[in-house]
Amino acid sequence: MDELGKVYQLIVPCFGHNMTFNLDAIAMTWIVFGVLIVFGFFATRNKSLLPGPVQVLGELFVSQLYGLTEDALDKEKAEKYAPLVCALFMFLLMSNWIGMIPHMHEPTKDLNTPLSLGLMGFVIAHYAGIKSKGFKAYVKEYFEPIFFMMPLNVIGELAKIVSISFRLFGNIMGGSIIILVVSYLTFSVLLPPFLNAFFVIFVGAIQAFVFTMLTVVYISVQVK
Amino acid sequence: MAYDIQTWIKVAAFTGAGLAMGLGAIGAAVGEGYTAAQANAAISRNTKATGEIFKSMLVGQAIAESASIFALVIAMILLFSNFTATSYVTVAAVFAAGLAMGFGAVGSGVGSGFPAGAACTGMARQPAMGGRLTTNMLIGSAVCQTPSIFALVTAFILLFSDFSMRPVSPTWAALLGAGFASGLGAIGSGIGGGVVAQNSCEGIARQPSAVTPVTNIMLLGQAVTQTPAILGLLVSFILIFKSFEPTNSLAPSMALLASGLCIGIGAIGPGIGEGIASSGGVKWVARNEAHVGDITRLMLVGMAVAESTAIYSLVIALVLVFVV
Repeated sequence: MDELGKVYQLIVPCFGHNMTFNLDAIAMTWIVFGVLIVFGFFATRNKSLLPGPVQVLGELFVSQLYGLTEDALDKEKAEKYAPLVCALFMFLLMSNWIGMIPHMHEPTKDLNTPLSLGLMGFVIAHYAGIKSKGFKAYVKEYFEPIFFMMPLNVIGELAKIVSISFRLFGNIMGGSIIILVVSYLTFSVLLPPFLNAFFVIFVGAIQAFVFTMLTVVYISVQVK
Repeated sequence: MAYDIQTWIKVAAFTGAGLAMGLGAIGAAVGEGYTAAQANAAISRNTKATGEIFKSMLVGQAIAESASIFALVIAMILLFSNFTATSYVTVAAVFAAGLAMGFGAVGSGVGSGFPAGAACTGMARQPAMGGRLTTNMLIGSAVCQTPSIFALVTAFILLFSDFSMRPVSPTWAALLGAGFASGLGAIGSGIGGGVVAQNSCEGIARQPSAVTPVTNIMLLGQAVTQTPAILGLLVSFILIFKSFEPTNSLAPSMALLASGLCIGIGAIGPGIGEGIASSGGVKWVARNEAHVGDITRLMLVGMAVAESTAIYSLVIALVLVFVV
């Protein structure tokens, strides 16, 4: 119970400012990177027409997410953005599931991770929008339907970053708190495996998918 | 009669626990009743599928109940923890935690009853799709719980953070406002998300071949429907973690409390409205699979317009926190 809300931080003074590093989140993110790189290595090592189990899994991820991107964007843009979408989904899925292992923490439990990913999606979506529509048409959209709606339209766009990142953060954080508290109340007997199955595996997979899907949709709304 | 601080904290914990469980019991019960009614109708329509429908009703009701169980966990913690307080801020924090969880469980409870009911009806109509309907219902109901999970996160932060260093005068109102913001804010999104999931279950029963796009659009619609609840969560985080100047005047405190109420109440309507907007999208994707792209885009634009009133509330709430 004492673990609740404890964050290991490294604070480095730098020109009068304090730079804060959340060590848990950084370490766990690198572990997720490592797992994904190893997975990618084994999935593509012996490529053959009769694929091995790891290759099948890799192909499943890529083909499913590629199809999803193609549905939302057109074929040409899907080729450009599908690698990003695949990587995003696999990273989020691994990040959400890593909390199942004792003493591991989801990097997505730290608000900084979802927020930076949300910011990344926002920047990519708006870059894609400016590129496909041209800068003038892009700016003009903010002044619709009437010109004084501009500040509200801007806030509405910024609220998208908040909503996409807080959704992931709140779900993962909430799940891990519930598991921790119930494990504490029941002395870790019986209930925690079921809670892990629901909150970590099920909700984690759904939220990873929702985050990926929303990133694709934000791009597609800007492009069209 | 002057009571000491320990008495006050007990008072806050007991009333908070009562409110958490009392309010938290409303939603799930309504949702479960709706599910049972739909299951009854479904069994009368197709008596051969009785066993399947009965199972699906029980599973759906069990998920609908989880919001109430969160409220029960908070109520138990409030009743059985020994809070040692040195400041009256903790009294407000404990009470606000109960308030947040109580209100927060209402919407998700009502909402997650809808997909379970629609899944039962759908099984009577299309018994061969039982497995996919159950999966879709489980996903829909689980995503419906998200607003109540947000309220739970706020309640836990209020319970387990140490506020004793903060000045009493504006902070008590900020914490109460935080409780209202994420508690009331979760109501609309919970109900709205349920309406979306209900229509997706109905759509799958009507057009089994459209199961993949319908589930995808449902997830998208539910996720966007949660935006008002997330704005409530954002305001409550600002109210909890921002440090305020100590003051003797009542006005700044009331501004903070009003800010929480503003976004909390203001998020109810947009949550339900976006749910209705998105349920139309989900429904028509099932009937007209060929035009998924157009329907989705229109649905998202419509939802964005329905959301604008939540954004007005957000603007006023932020003005109340930062300007007044």
